[in-house]
Amino acid sequence: MLSNYKSPFNATIYEILSKQTNLKYIGKTRLDEFAMGSMGINDPLKLNLNDVLNPLFPDCVPGGSSSGAAASVSSNMVDFAIGTDTGGSIRLPAAWCSTMGFKPSYGKISRYGVIDMAQSLDTVGILSNDINIIKYIFRLLDKYDPKDTTSLPEKFRSKSGQDPKMNTREWKIGIPKEIFIDLCDPEVWSHFKIILANLFKSVPQVSLYPVSIPSWKLSLPIYYTLCPSEVASNMARYDGIRYGSRESDDFETQNQGGDTENDIILFASSRSKHLGKEVKRRIVLGNYTLSSDSYKNNYMKAQKLRMRLIDEFNTIFRLPNILLSNQEYENDEKDEKDGVDFLLVPTNLTKPPKLVDILNNKNQGKENPIMDYINDFFTVPMSLAGLPTISIPMCKKSSLGLQIVGQYGDDYNLLDFSKHIIINSDVLITI
Amino acid sequence: MTSIANEYQLKCGLEIHTQLNTEKKLFSLAKNDPFGSISSPNHHVSYFDAALPGTRPILNYECVLKALKLAISLNCDVNLNSHFDRKHYFYGDQPQGYQLTQHYSPIASNGYLNLHSDIDNLDTPTKKINIIQLQLEQDTGMSHYDNYEKKTMIDLNRSNVPLIELVTEPNFDSVPQVIAFLKKYQNLVRRINVSTGNLETGAIRVDVNVSVGDYPRVELKNLSNTSSISNAIKYEYDRQINIIKQGKAAELLRYEETRGWNGYETIKLRSKETTIDYRYMPDPELGCIRLDYSIIKDIKKSLPISTDDEIRIFLNEPYNLSLKNAKLLCIQNGKNEYYTNGEVKKYYLDSFNLFREVIPPSFERDCKIIANWVINELLGDLNKLELPLKNIQELFPPTKFIEFIKLLQNGKVSNTGGKRLLFYILENIQTKQFKGNIDLQYLIQKLNIEIKSSVDGEELLKQCQSIIDNINNPKLIENIKSGKKKNSLNYLVGIAMRQTRGRVKPTEYQRIFKNILMIK
Repeated sequence: MLSNYKSPFNATIYEILSKQTNLKYIGKTRLDEFAMGSMGINDPLKLNLNDVLNPLFPDCVPGGSSSGAAASVSSNMVDFAIGTDTGGSIRLPAAWCSTMGFKPSYGKISRYGVIDMAQSLDTVGILSNDINIIKYIFRLLDKYDPKDTTSLPEKFRSKSGQDPKMNTREWKIGIPKEIFIDLCDPEVWSHFKIILANLFKSVPQVSLYPVSIPSWKLSLPIYYTLCPSEVASNMARYDGIRYGSRESDDFETQNQGGDTENDIILFASSRSKHLGKEVKRRIVLGNYTLSSDSYKNNYMKAQKLRMRLIDEFNTIFRLPNILLSNQEYENDEKDEKDGVDFLLVPTNLTKPPKLVDILNNKNQGKENPIMDYINDFFTVPMSLAGLPTISIPMCKKSSLGLQIVGQYGDDYNLLDFSKHIIINSDVLITI
Repeated sequence: MTSIANEYQLKCGLEIHTQLNTEKKLFSLAKNDPFGSISSPNHHVSYFDAALPGTRPILNYECVLKALKLAISLNCDVNLNSHFDRKHYFYGDQPQGYQLTQHYSPIASNGYLNLHSDIDNLDTPTKKINIIQLQLEQDTGMSHYDNYEKKTMIDLNRSNVPLIELVTEPNFDSVPQVIAFLKKYQNLVRRINVSTGNLETGAIRVDVNVSVGDYPRVELKNLSNTSSISNAIKYEYDRQINIIKQGKAAELLRYEETRGWNGYETIKLRSKETTIDYRYMPDPELGCIRLDYSIIKDIKKSLPISTDDEIRIFLNEPYNLSLKNAKLLCIQNGKNEYYTNGEVKKYYLDSFNLFREVIPPSFERDCKIIANWVINELLGDLNKLELPLKNIQELFPPTKFIEFIKLLQNGKVSNTGGKRLLFYILENIQTKQFKGNIDLQYLIQKLNIEIKSSVDGEELLKQCQSIIDNINNPKLIENIKSGKKKNSLNYLVGIAMRQTRGRVKPTEYQRIFKNILMIK
């Protein structure tokens, strides 16, 4: 749809980064069409299906949607890459390409210039092999932007800062009970348990706690109700009239002029031809959710459950959510000692599939989008709650990621703690 | 008496879209100028207005302020936490594929506007029109179909222009009520300066719901001016009554439908089967419009008093204006290009207050002379000369005007002479003949209209006698003498006045004619 479109303006993050004399812009990276997909292969033009490969396992997909970003970092072509994460689109490819992907708190990095998938979830983030680079770039991009309505205002930014006692303090780590499901690759849990044991053994300041987030298990249905609704709405502008691809029969229907019936056909052909299968699937799903018959039972309910999920996260963290009002903030401070600092959760359920298998399934009509959606089980709760999350490799070249999750706004402490784990050679698995 | 009257009772409700006259658009920094730039289409269009990918809406609070002014003027409850929803439908001139509006939580609701029998010229007692809600929303672009090129052309100058949608309850039971409400609403939006209020340009667009008795309503669209609104309602009312009388109501008036107006009949546009599901969704990135309660009080303070209240003030002491004159001062008609009601009101009030200072309180009733001369004479002359009121402010301000009125009051100049003098002054202002101060005394001399304080009685007697001789109408004279036609005396006085150009007081002539004709 936008293959011939060139934006007349720059995104805020590009404006910031391009002014840094020590940074050199190499190019754009590929991704799934409109950032929808987990494999990095959704492309309606089908130019070169295998043009993004997993640098570590060249017969496997890199993961998506930020496939090119993860692959370019993993193959050491670049020092860092930018991606967006709506339900795991940075973290999943980072895990599959065994690199790091950081999704900051929602609203920290400006979305101005980012093509919308689902505004209430879309988050700009950073991929790199080096935690110091991630932190450096994040500092550059972590700025209020008046051009983005959801950019976190200054008054909240000043509330969240780096904890000076970070390195001397005790870290309380929570493990959500609800994450232990059977659908995973067996190595996910074996690796995860080893890492927990290593942490316990070799980092004396760390203590581990089981925590409960009952709504975790509802996250996928919540996500796949809300996200496609926003998608259906956001995709409505791609009619080929002002920009983008347009089919000739849409010109012809236009020439019949005026009445409503014909106006509907004005762009049907263009949308039908120039939007890919997954995009169309989500548009249909979203429009179903938003239709007046199901709005209250689906969309509204999902919104309420999303709020409940956020509340549950707020109850388990030691720090208060900076978005809550001052009064609540103070009340929470009293029992500051309860609650954990960070959560540890695996990033992905499975290792990257082979491209040839996906294509075979596709050709035989055996695609199963539901299985792709289930892959987001570990990543969407933090998207729904807007929490800062980084995915780091559990072990080198394993394609399994470990997510470290912080309270909303606690991005810098999260990065420092992550660095601590990474440089402590005894925590992650070294095979 | 219920059945027949109620069975055919007309019920109307209005849905009014009003473009706010803000400087910028609702969610972008593009200029809000949908009609000034009609010759340069797609001129005031930001990236957001064209819905380019990656652009975001930023709410313009000027629109919120104007919406609140209107809401408070319409006695609404203000929603301190309203928010925007997306209303989805495809249209060539709807760039986002949805309109940002306030479906679930509008900015104001539950208001009313009263129509009065005297001020609003209705034959019913005071009528209260309830307003269900006011919502802020985006206007769409415009499509122009070019028959020659066979192309639809899209102009996005209007895209994202701020609109207020106002919905009333179906409280209207006659066409004059609808028209009176629209006039009053137009005046209101102009008075509080939130819109140009013009139906002709589409700054105000009106849809009317029409139903008869308890049958479902029919929504009438594409009504571009007051007469099409009035004619469409009448046509639709008759159409529905005919259906009921023919016993086809169960079939033809079963569901709500939408009809258009083509100038002489209403035409079906949409019915139940073709209704669009707008798939409303709260906008995921525009937060609530959060308002502090104090803003309602502050805005109330900033608003002018209501037109109705102001008219009542002018109807009473000390002004004692006629309803017509009071309305002229208070109601903005938007049509006269030479003066606004506000300019006239200021000129009148300044003159009135100056005059009141110089006359004894017991003569307060004499103040009426100000209204007569400002509204009847001055405005009449301005219209005749096509001279804007603001152009006379420098040479003929209220202070000068009062000097002029005093001449009349003191009997220095008669009414007739005064009219000549006023017209002469205005005419010369227009042709720029005056240099500096206007010397009224000099002009009286020049025009030869000064009333002679010592009149030559002999000469006047001669003049009057010759008038009686010249009209040569014994029957008229007889009637005057016998008292049959008393007013005819004034006819004679008028002739005499004209001959002497108002230099002699009419009472003087009356006295002389009476003497000659021997009337008591």
